[in-house]
Amino acid sequence: MSGRARVRARGRARSPSPADAPSPTSVDISASEASSTGDFAGTSRISQTHGVSPGDARCPFIQRGGKGRRDFMDLDVCTREKLAHVRDCKTGSSGVPVKLVTNLFNLDLPQDWQLYQYHVTYVPDLESRRLRIALLYSHRELSNKAKAFDGVILFLTQKLEEKVTELSSETHRGGTVKMTITLTRELPASSSVCIQVFNIIFRKILKKLAMYQIGRNFYKPSEPVEIPQHKLSLWPGFAISVSRFESRLLFTADVSYKILRNETVLEFMTDLRQETTMSCFTQTCEKRLLGLIVLTRYNNKTYRIDDIDWSVKPTHTFQKQDGTEITYVDYYKQQYDITLSDLNQPVLVSLLKTKRNDNTEPRVAHLIPELCFLTGLTCQATSDFRLMKAVAEETRLSPLGRQQRLARLADDIQRNKDARFELETWGLHFGCQVSLTGRVLPSEKILMQDHICQPASAADWSKDMRNCKILSAQSLNKWLILCSNRAEYVTENFLHCLRRVGSCMGFNVDYPKIIKAQENPAAFFSAVQKHVDPDVQLVMCILPSNQKNYYDTIKNYLNSFCPVPSQCVLTRTLNKQGMMMSVATKIAMQMACKLGGELWAVEIPLKSLMVVGIDAYKDEVSKGMVVVGFVASINPGITRWFSRCILQRTATDVADCLKVFMTGALNKWYKHNHGLPARIIVYRNGVGDGQLKTLIEYEVPQLLSSVTEASANTSSKLSVIVVRKKCTLRFCMEMNRSLQNPPLGTVVDSEATRPDWYDFYLISQAACRGTVNPTYYNVIYDDNGLKPDHMQRLTFKLCHLYYNWPGLISIPAPCQYAHKLTFLVAQSIHKEPSLELANSLFYL
Amino acid sequence: RNLILFQRSTVPRKNVIEFRPPLYKQRYFFVKDIVNQYKPKKVADLGCGNATLLCMLKFHSCVQELVGVDLLMDRLLDWNSDKLSPSIGDHLGPRDLDLSIVLYRGSAVEKDSRLLGFDLITCIELIEHLDSEDLAKFPEVVFGYFSPGMVVISTPNSDFNPLFPASTFRNSDHKFEWNQTQFQHWASNVAKLYSYTVEFTGVGVPPPWAKHVGYCTQIGIFKKKQPDPGSWILAKPTGSRVSEPEEHAYQVIDPRKILHAHKWCQSWSTVFTASFPSLQQKHFLLFVLCTEVLKEVEAIRQKYVWIMKRKESSEPESEEDTDSGLVRRPGLFLTDAQVAQIEKSPKPYSVGKRFYVPLKRLIGYPKVNRLVADVSTLRTLLAEGIPMRLNRAHTSVQIDLDPYDYPHDYR
Repeated sequence: MSGRARVRARGRARSPSPADAPSPTSVDISASEASSTGDFAGTSRISQTHGVSPGDARCPFIQRGGKGRRDFMDLDVCTREKLAHVRDCKTGSSGVPVKLVTNLFNLDLPQDWQLYQYHVTYVPDLESRRLRIALLYSHRELSNKAKAFDGVILFLTQKLEEKVTELSSETHRGGTVKMTITLTRELPASSSVCIQVFNIIFRKILKKLAMYQIGRNFYKPSEPVEIPQHKLSLWPGFAISVSRFESRLLFTADVSYKILRNETVLEFMTDLRQETTMSCFTQTCEKRLLGLIVLTRYNNKTYRIDDIDWSVKPTHTFQKQDGTEITYVDYYKQQYDITLSDLNQPVLVSLLKTKRNDNTEPRVAHLIPELCFLTGLTCQATSDFRLMKAVAEETRLSPLGRQQRLARLADDIQRNKDARFELETWGLHFGCQVSLTGRVLPSEKILMQDHICQPASAADWSKDMRNCKILSAQSLNKWLILCSNRAEYVTENFLHCLRRVGSCMGFNVDYPKIIKAQENPAAFFSAVQKHVDPDVQLVMCILPSNQKNYYDTIKNYLNSFCPVPSQCVLTRTLNKQGMMMSVATKIAMQMACKLGGELWAVEIPLKSLMVVGIDAYKDEVSKGMVVVGFVASINPGITRWFSRCILQRTATDVADCLKVFMTGALNKWYKHNHGLPARIIVYRNGVGDGQLKTLIEYEVPQLLSSVTEASANTSSKLSVIVVRKKCTLRFCMEMNRSLQNPPLGTVVDSEATRPDWYDFYLISQAACRGTVNPTYYNVIYDDNGLKPDHMQRLTFKLCHLYYNWPGLISIPAPCQYAHKLTFLVAQSIHKEPSLELANSLFYL
Repeated sequence: RNLILFQRSTVPRKNVIEFRPPLYKQRYFFVKDIVNQYKPKKVADLGCGNATLLCMLKFHSCVQELVGVDLLMDRLLDWNSDKLSPSIGDHLGPRDLDLSIVLYRGSAVEKDSRLLGFDLITCIELIEHLDSEDLAKFPEVVFGYFSPGMVVISTPNSDFNPLFPASTFRNSDHKFEWNQTQFQHWASNVAKLYSYTVEFTGVGVPPPWAKHVGYCTQIGIFKKKQPDPGSWILAKPTGSRVSEPEEHAYQVIDPRKILHAHKWCQSWSTVFTASFPSLQQKHFLLFVLCTEVLKEVEAIRQKYVWIMKRKESSEPESEEDTDSGLVRRPGLFLTDAQVAQIEKSPKPYSVGKRFYVPLKRLIGYPKVNRLVADVSTLRTLLAEGIPMRLNRAHTSVQIDLDPYDYPHDYR
């Protein structure tokens, strides 16, 4: 945080209070509640936020836990009914059928099962939700029934005799309270309200299995996996949900791990203190800590670190809410029986969110570093190769291992007495695991310049294309290599290899001008500034270390100020003996692409088709900025690309500038092909939960208006497909009495899909270890009217076209290009790259 | 107080008298002070309402068993059950001693053998809710049957009521409100009958112009005259050091209780139970120990590398300097004696790309020493927890000298 921000934060610190100075008014109802008394928002909140009578189309409860709600919002969007060609059938036909085991379980209900929704009023009116619930539940009429009640709305599975039931209760104060229970709705099992009730029931059941809820998932603290060398503790658990799939109600469970850090902020600070000199310690500390979320060990709450106040020590006093003064040391001793060991630690400052949206100044909490656990993995941790490897080794489960976990969960649910009782009272029956039939799409041929190869494995065809010429490449005549003095020898060596593999693949690499610089980021940067001019085709930098400075400054300069394609290579990479040829091959291919070359193609049966990939990524440096990338193919062979990128200030990941991008792409297409594409298919990646509606209402119209304005008579036909890499569904194939990942190209378009959507799953990447994660595709707009079979196969073909990897990838190439572009901008450049580079894959 | 919801209404809203902190909090803090002072192991709260007091008492390291009893428990519990259950922090930083929390639904005037042998029983704003029949049973159950080492009873002081605008009871469920004389008379009789001593105090100081009315809430502290031998009242307060379980395990049972135990009665139903992770459970001890050892080793390694680098660059320092430099570092609070002990122990060393810290040295660090007393226990536990990190002879912990020496990709 800058000095200015710190002053601001301090200015607000009127009466700093320790994190939890108990405020008598706030009754914190944990979001993790899930019980037969219901997991509901407070009554007052219901009336405030909704102000509707129960019986409204949407269910007013579980509005509290953000994510759950957003999921349900998506499910309310029915896109399929508007797509005439898939209204009756959305399944494909090509390929070989394959039997797959899923992580779905049947949930059976009696045929005539219904949920009855009642509205309950009290005379005199009672404000306390607890009292409302306690009074209602004490009645014999209700005590043995399965019920969920939030203080206002009551759900029962058995109908009460009367439409309106009057009950009265004596309070302990001697007064009489009259309760009126009025039937408002009868809901069939398929209604979205019922599905939310089922989710509540299952959350309660998992709690009964001694699982601990964090967010939406459930974890077993009793069986932790510890990685002490990285100060991590992993809790195994499950992400669960109940949802209506194609024809049935199903329970989904996916194995999940919660990564907990066993490191306090104080420990982090003292470690840092050892690494850095005193002068820059406070600065480094703030740089590394501000913005992180910490968990206080005593009250299990999370806070964001907004500032560090170095002037306050634990021995200083603060004012409690009641006005008395106390030192931090005494406060924690008195309240929590905690003795602070370090009396010189500073305090962390966190601005508390106010729930009311008024002008009151935000309250400030002071936290003691010793009592705060770090949470989540920082980018520093995620870039720590060893740490990630250790985590992956513990969390990666083979299909068989995953299946065993699932079987155990199912067994626990069926065997636990409380869980079974809960299910029975609601009339639910937890059934068996769902198997379904998928199809394996035919494999694709890879088209090279004078050769068509049928790769042995679609996961990696680098061997198959050895000695094949790439489709097209610009000759590299004028270029620079920048290296440190020490790296001169390896650079020469590498250059030799590069020229050799280049000529093999039909990419002519001339001898470059080699510039030597001192080993520091500033020297490298000034050398780039001095020697690069617009005539230079490409700059290669042999970086002495992985320091982010080198990469960021060079990329920043060469992408926006002086637009020249650049290639950075680490010296260490070139030192690997025996790997030189394969390293050189990969780099040569990247360089060819950066100059606008085309490496390979697949057969595209549709003539005049443009494919587009869109992705959004949050900027690393300036929070609140989102980088939107847009990559469109500009030739019918889908080998040449037009890439644009913009930084937009917005809280959501919804893109603003799509019309401009689309029009730009259509102009480019027109210039190259003397006409407009007949069809446009847009793959949209990076969409969060609950954004489907916004996408349809905001992004699709932008694209459409650009397409219709481009031509007066016949405009191109548009399809928009939402791509999701993360989904909780898993598919496995039974083989030799064991389970394996399904083959590449497996499509699932029935049973595990949604009835209201035109959607399918495609497995297009190989997972050598662990369980493969299928990619989920949801066609939200479709003018093209392609047969589902063709849509699936086209999507599969596009997964072959990512030039940074000679093999299949998990998402269509334009999406991956857009992702790579936004990643580069968000991580390193933080600026729009120059338009001059838009015609090449400069960001690979 | 059966319905805790009304607890705050004991301080009427529009009056001249206002307590800061609110009176109900003052009562809870009073109990916390008692717990801090006497360090009881087993504490029960009769009429615990929504268990707010238990939520506050669970933090005390001395408490190993917490029980709450209330008539109206099951439905109200949902809101606090998460606060009474172990949280992430409790798993990551386990307590020194075990703690179990149990809530029962039941009446305070029913006998239940599960409350025998407690150190402290609190009845905060409970007795005034009892009708005359229950009030008559109350002393026999609490003092005669449960017979804990100490009882704390609080109740409104009606002498104070004239200071409030309304002249009725403070809560409509109150069956009576006693003045100081009435309460002290009742309490003294009870104490005499069951061999307890009693002293009177209270919370809610009266305004200076009405000193004579006494505290707004009057409190009686009852202590057993002849505490059971070896009971917690006689025991000296224990430090924060982990004690051997045996020290706590024995419980001398009063002959009267044994008599009652024959009539084994469980009139209450269990509504909630939670058991907290602690260092007394081997699994957690192992986890905390391994983490602490590796943190320590990593910190020593960093310092070692730093000193080596300085030696390379500038003129070499003397051997002694290097060594004491290795011991001290920020955030580590050592007494001179501890420093001397560590300096005497075998030094960390490096061979090739590996770095070794002898167990004999590690045991000197307070954070390790707090958990295990001797090297052989340390060795046994580490061999179980992190076998890959021990050298072959099991005398040192080994890690890579430069763990960040790994390759990166090109882009």
